[in-house]
Order: sequence, then structure tokens, then C-alpha cells
Amino acid sequence: MTEAFSWVFDGLLVIALVIVAARVVFTPVLFKAIVMFIVFGLLMAIAWGRLDAPHVALAEAAIGAGITGALLLAAYSDLVSVRRRRPHLRPRVRVLRRHAFFAASAALAFAALALVLLQVPAPESGAGTLAVANLDATGVAEGVTAVLLDFRAYDTLLEMAVLLLAVYGARAVLVTDSEPRPDPWPTEGRHGSMVAALVGVLAPLIVVTAGYLLWVGAYGPGGAFQAGAVLAALGVLLRLTGRLEPAAASSWPQRLVLVAGLIVFSLVGLATLFAGGTFLDYPEAWAYPLVLLIEIALTVSIALPLILLFSGSPGLATPAPEDRR
Amino acid sequence: MSVPGPSQWLVLIVFVPLLAAVAAVLWPGRGAGRWLTVLTGLLTGGGLLSLSARLLDAGEPVTHALGGWPTPLGIALYADGLSLAMLWLTWVVMSAASWHADAYNPAHGIDEALFRPLWLACWCALNAVFVSGDLFNVYVVLEISTLAAVPLVAIAGGRAALTAALRYLLFALLGALVYLLGVALVYGRHGRLDMHGLEITPEPAMLLAAGLVTAGLMAKAALVPMHVWLPPAHSRAPAPVSAILSALVVKAAVYLLLRLWTWTWPELINGAAWVLGGLGAVAMIHGSVLALLQVRLKRVVAYSTVAQLGYLLLVFPLASLLAWQGVVMHAVSHGLAKAGFFLAAGNIMHLLGHDRLQGMRGISGGPLALTMFALALSAVSLMGLPPSGGFLAKWLLLQAALEAGAWGWAALLLIAGLLAAAYLFRVLAILLARDTPDPLAAPGSDRHVPTAMAWSALTLALGSAVLAFAGEPLLRLFSIGSPDIMTGSTGP
Repeated sequence: MTEAFSWVFDGLLVIALVIVAARVVFTPVLFKAIVMFIVFGLLMAIAWGRLDAPHVALAEAAIGAGITGALLLAAYSDLVSVRRRRPHLRPRVRVLRRHAFFAASAALAFAALALVLLQVPAPESGAGTLAVANLDATGVAEGVTAVLLDFRAYDTLLEMAVLLLAVYGARAVLVTDSEPRPDPWPTEGRHGSMVAALVGVLAPLIVVTAGYLLWVGAYGPGGAFQAGAVLAALGVLLRLTGRLEPAAASSWPQRLVLVAGLIVFSLVGLATLFAGGTFLDYPEAWAYPLVLLIEIALTVSIALPLILLFSGSPGLATPAPEDRR
Repeated sequence: MSVPGPSQWLVLIVFVPLLAAVAAVLWPGRGAGRWLTVLTGLLTGGGLLSLSARLLDAGEPVTHALGGWPTPLGIALYADGLSLAMLWLTWVVMSAASWHADAYNPAHGIDEALFRPLWLACWCALNAVFVSGDLFNVYVVLEISTLAAVPLVAIAGGRAALTAALRYLLFALLGALVYLLGVALVYGRHGRLDMHGLEITPEPAMLLAAGLVTAGLMAKAALVPMHVWLPPAHSRAPAPVSAILSALVVKAAVYLLLRLWTWTWPELINGAAWVLGGLGAVAMIHGSVLALLQVRLKRVVAYSTVAQLGYLLLVFPLASLLAWQGVVMHAVSHGLAKAGFFLAAGNIMHLLGHDRLQGMRGISGGPLALTMFALALSAVSLMGLPPSGGFLAKWLLLQAALEAGAWGWAALLLIAGLLAAAYLFRVLAILLARDTPDPLAAPGSDRHVPTAMAWSALTLALGSAVLAFAGEPLLRLFSIGSPDIMTGSTGP
């Protein structure tokens, strides 16, 4: 890409980002705001790509735009069904003046921050340079994966607990809000053969893509988080088309998948603790296989909570055979 | 295979409750949950004994370089006297509150399959905060504590609890984002995140970073002016949850304020000491006055937490070893007394079905005798009357203020103590009133407080009283590794 072209491209990208962000804040229609938010996430992913941060770009596209967008749409459809039954509970989205106030304050705060940030000298050395220097000892060739699964593996492990707790938090709210409501997504029988054919084509492609992202994490942009988010997209698709139905309780295999990442990661850590005295200090020859094993477990344990959050149910079930056509 | 030493226990006290939470996901029954909790208590208790022995023996902090990577590349776990004080407090309060929950939860229809994983994850997060030596790791473990605590509030059921829980969530998430922004600034400037290796000098960017981190933690700690979420959340939660929220969860964020301002960026403290101390003073007065005005028992106790957290910030303007010891003692004794008070309030609600003070005149006898004893003992410690840990803490703080010639702070301590006495005596006067017949003593009434609920409250209350006698040796342990700006030594 020539320099002039990249200036034009980046300039257009920045303008588009600002316009879309303004649309998210100022549109009076909630549905439009959600769609614009998803568009914003996709543009942001391109911006991260332009900033040479492909990991962040993948995460932004898969989680920021994809899964978050799906969650927002799920919440929207629920709001619509509440409004239909009880018209006085209109979601208030037409508070433009307050939005303008918040947008102006946020812009001011951002300007102040940027002013300070521009004057901060970068450190000559630090954890980043050390990570690059020690990459050979980790068994993986990709810096970000090494940080996530070796140098700062403890943080990654605990992030899995955060995901698990998000599911349990949603369940606690479900228990409190026990009002019965119709499932917002149509069941399988209401779709034509086009959808069935499309799901049949997409599902294996998604699985292969997730597997690729998982595998490639050892040498390039990818890894468990991106793979898990892509796998979750498959779950969302199956849930939307009635291949998966909400269940009032989670079966034990589902609970095992929820905690598989935590179990495998913790047991590897405890094994190294009892064998060598240091938590998650992989023996050099074992580093790569152990990291891969952990990443596989993490992928499924990242995907299932996201699907459950989208589904808004404690568990999932496949429809009974007599419902199928 | 080797026997875990103190350094290994530092890891295990985080992973025992975490794996217990995982096991509780897989085996959601009540029996399994109870055994997992007992096992967690036994194992982490053993770990804390091992850590305490090493600390007293060596006189210096215990550390563990996770993954075998030294800082700043890896994450270090770190435990000194302050960590041990908070870890022991966590152990005692979580154990007693778990005992209380054994009887409280089935009686109040709390879903065991949801409660147990959240409860054990919260225990894990608290231990992880108190041994963390890394700014970003703190963000992660504070998120775990928030995401465990918020559903534990909602689990009480009903719209009011849900609203309180969601408001708590919004404040805590906003706090977390602001904290993260501050941490990003520190990393951008220094390229490292370890709390004990950073050398932060006063410059605009770092002052901004410290301000952001402090604001974020204040939202999580419910320090004035970010306290509005606390009274509804802590008063609507189930009793054992209220106890751990007020005694431990908010204190985890205050603990971090103490650690960061005294170890990580002590050179930035100059002007900030007065701002932080001033906010503490406002919290002490504002919280106490509002506690005096409440018409429901649990809200009195919740506003009391707002007030008592303010004391912890006085360490910054007073800045001496006495003040440091006073604040550590205050954190521990307030934790025990407040947890005991909340459990006792839960017992009263268990019998009455409400917590309006108006309907509580003269209920102190009969089935509530033990509970009333626990409540009164806790109140004594919260007011700072002898003999109690609360008295010892306030005495140390007052001494520190007088030695520094800081008459203003000394006067504040006395006024706040009087206000605490006022709002607590008001409650006690209502409960102990003799002018109306005890509504619970009516013939034919066979309502009683389960043994576990009465004795768990009493254990915590007795604990806060016993602190007065065990103060000397405990302070020796808790002062190990005190920060240089408190001990007055210039350091190497």
C-alpha cells in the first residue's frame, strides 16, 4: 500500500468511526443504535488491524462486534416483548439532551487524557521487551500467546472464573425475574429449507475456522479466546434456528464443559506446583503440548458461557425428535 | 512430589476455594456444598498457619514468582503482615458466615446450586486480592469478587434486591474501567505492573494515573462520594452475604488503596494524603448521621459501614507506625464486629420477617437472647468501647493523632465515636425496651433461632472482643513488612 493511499484509507476510517459513534449515541431508535454499535465494532476491528494489532482486531470483531452485538439484539427482542405485553414500560431512548451532555463530557475527558498520553515517554525496557527476549523458552512462537498462557497465565486462568461467574450472575437474575415469557427466537419448524441448508453449510465451516484459530495461536494471531468466540457464534446460529432450545437446568456434561478450562488449567498448575515448587512453571519439553491442551479446554469453556448468555437460559437442549420435520 | 511450603501455600489459598467452587458447579447438592466449604476452611486455615509461622520466623514477606518468571515479566504473589491480617479476617468471617448460611439459606429459599459456587468464588477472589502483587492481576481478581458479590445480592429474590444488585454492578464496573485506565497509564509510562518494583515519581501522567486508580477503587469500596450503592445492596442481600460484603468485599478495595499509596507510589502522597483523609472524615460524619436517621435495622448497619470505612483513610494524613497499626486493627475488628452484627440482624429478621426498627420494641428476651448478646458485643466494638478490638484500634489512632499534634483529627475521632455510640444505642434502646410486652414471648409461639445462626453471630462478636486481649502479638504479626513511609525509615 502506498503511503498516500494509506493516509486516505486511515483518514476515511477515522471519519467513519466518529460518524458511526455519533450515530450510536444520538439515534432515537434503540434498534438502530444497536446495529450502529455492531458496525462500529467492525470498523474498530479494521482500525486495530491498521495499528498492527491483529490479536485485538480478531477479538474486537469476534467479541466486540459479534457476540456483544448478538447479546444486545437478544436483550432488545426481550424488551420488545415486554413492551408489547405492558405498554407503559416503554424503553426510554429519546433522552437526546442527556446523551449530548455525556458525549461532550466524554470528549473533554478524552481530550485531556490524550494530552497527557502524548507527553508520556515510552519506557526503554519493561515487561514487553523481556517477553520478546524470553519467547524461546515458552514453547510457542507467538508473543501474545506466550504472555497469555505462560508469562501471565495466572491472569488468563482467573479470567475463566470471570466468565463462569458471568453465567452464574445471569442465572441469579433469571431466578429473581421469574415472570414467564415467550422465547424470543422462533423454533425450528417455522423455518424453510433455505435456512436448513444454510446452517448445514455454515456449521462445519465455523467449526473448521474455530479449530484453525485455536491451532494457529501458537505461531500467529489467534488462540483460545478468538476460537471460543467463533465457536460461540455457531451456538448462536443453532439457537436462532431452533437447533438448540433453552433448558431450565444445565445437564452435567454442560456443567463439565463450563468448568473444563478452569479444571485443566488449574490441574496443570497444581501438578507443576507439587512437582517443582512453582505454579505453572512448565517443564521446557512439555511446554507446547501443555499449552495446547490448556487452549483446547479453554476454547470450549469460553464458547459455552457465551452461548448460554445469549440463550438466556441455565442450560441448552436439542429439540425432541417428534418436533422435527 | 513435595510437601507445600509457605511459598506454595500462597498459591494454594487461592486455588483451594477456586477448585471448591468448580466442584460445587459439578455437584450442586447442599451436602456436597457444605463439605466443600468445610474442606476449603480446613485447607486454607492450614495454609494461613504455615504462612504466619514463616512470616514471624523470617520477619519478611513471603513471595511466589508464578510460572517461574521473575517480575516484571511474570506475576508475583506477595504476603506481608497486612496481607495476613486481611487473610485471617477473611478466613474467620467466611467460616462463620458459611456456618450461618447452613441454617439461613434453606429457611429463606436460597438456591444452593447458585449460592455455593458464587460463595466459594468470592472466597477465592478475596484471598487472591490479599496476596496479589500485580496491578493488572488486581483488576482481574477484583472483577471476580464483584461478579461473585453482585449475584449473591440478587439471590435474595425480589425486585428491590435485583435493583440494588444491578446498581452495585454498574458502580463496580465503572470503577473497574477507571481503575484499568489508570493501570494502562502506569504500564505505558513504566512498562511494568508489579506493585513492589515500580518506581513512580511525581509527574502529571502518574498523578493522573494514581487519581484514576484511586477513583476506581473508591467506587468499589463505597467510599464517600461513591457510596450510594452500598446501603441498598448490603441491606437487601441475604444475611450471610451482607456480612461478607461489609466485612470483606468493600475492604478488599480499601486494602488496595492502602497498599498502592504506601508501597507503589508513596512519593505522590503529599497533597493526596489530606484529600484522602478529608474524604475519610466526610464519610465518618455523613455515614454516622445517616445511620442515625434510618428506620430499618439493616440500613443502620449498612450506613455504619460507610462511616467505619472512613477511619481507614486517616492513616494517610497521620502517617506513623501507631496510625498504621490502628488502621490495620480497625480493619480487622470492624470486619469481625460488622459481620457479627449483620448475622445477628439476620437472626432478628428470621424471627420477625422484617427489619423495621418500629416493630422491634422489646424483643430482646426468649429466643433472641444469644443473638442479642452477639449484637450488643458487636455494637461495643463498633462504638470503640473497651474491652474490644474496636477500642484498641481507635485508641491507637487517637494516640497517633495526639503524638502528631493533629488536634483536628483527634477531635474528629472523638466526634465520630460519639455519633457511632448514638446510632448504636438508639438501636439497642429499642431492642431492649421494657415498656411493651415482648411480641415473641407470646404463649404458643415456638419460633426459635437455629443454633448455627445464633452461635455464628456470637463467635464473630466474641472474636472482636477477644482482639482487645490478643492485640499485642497480633499487631507484631500484622506489622511485619510495614511500609517505609509509616515506620519512618528511609529504606535502602
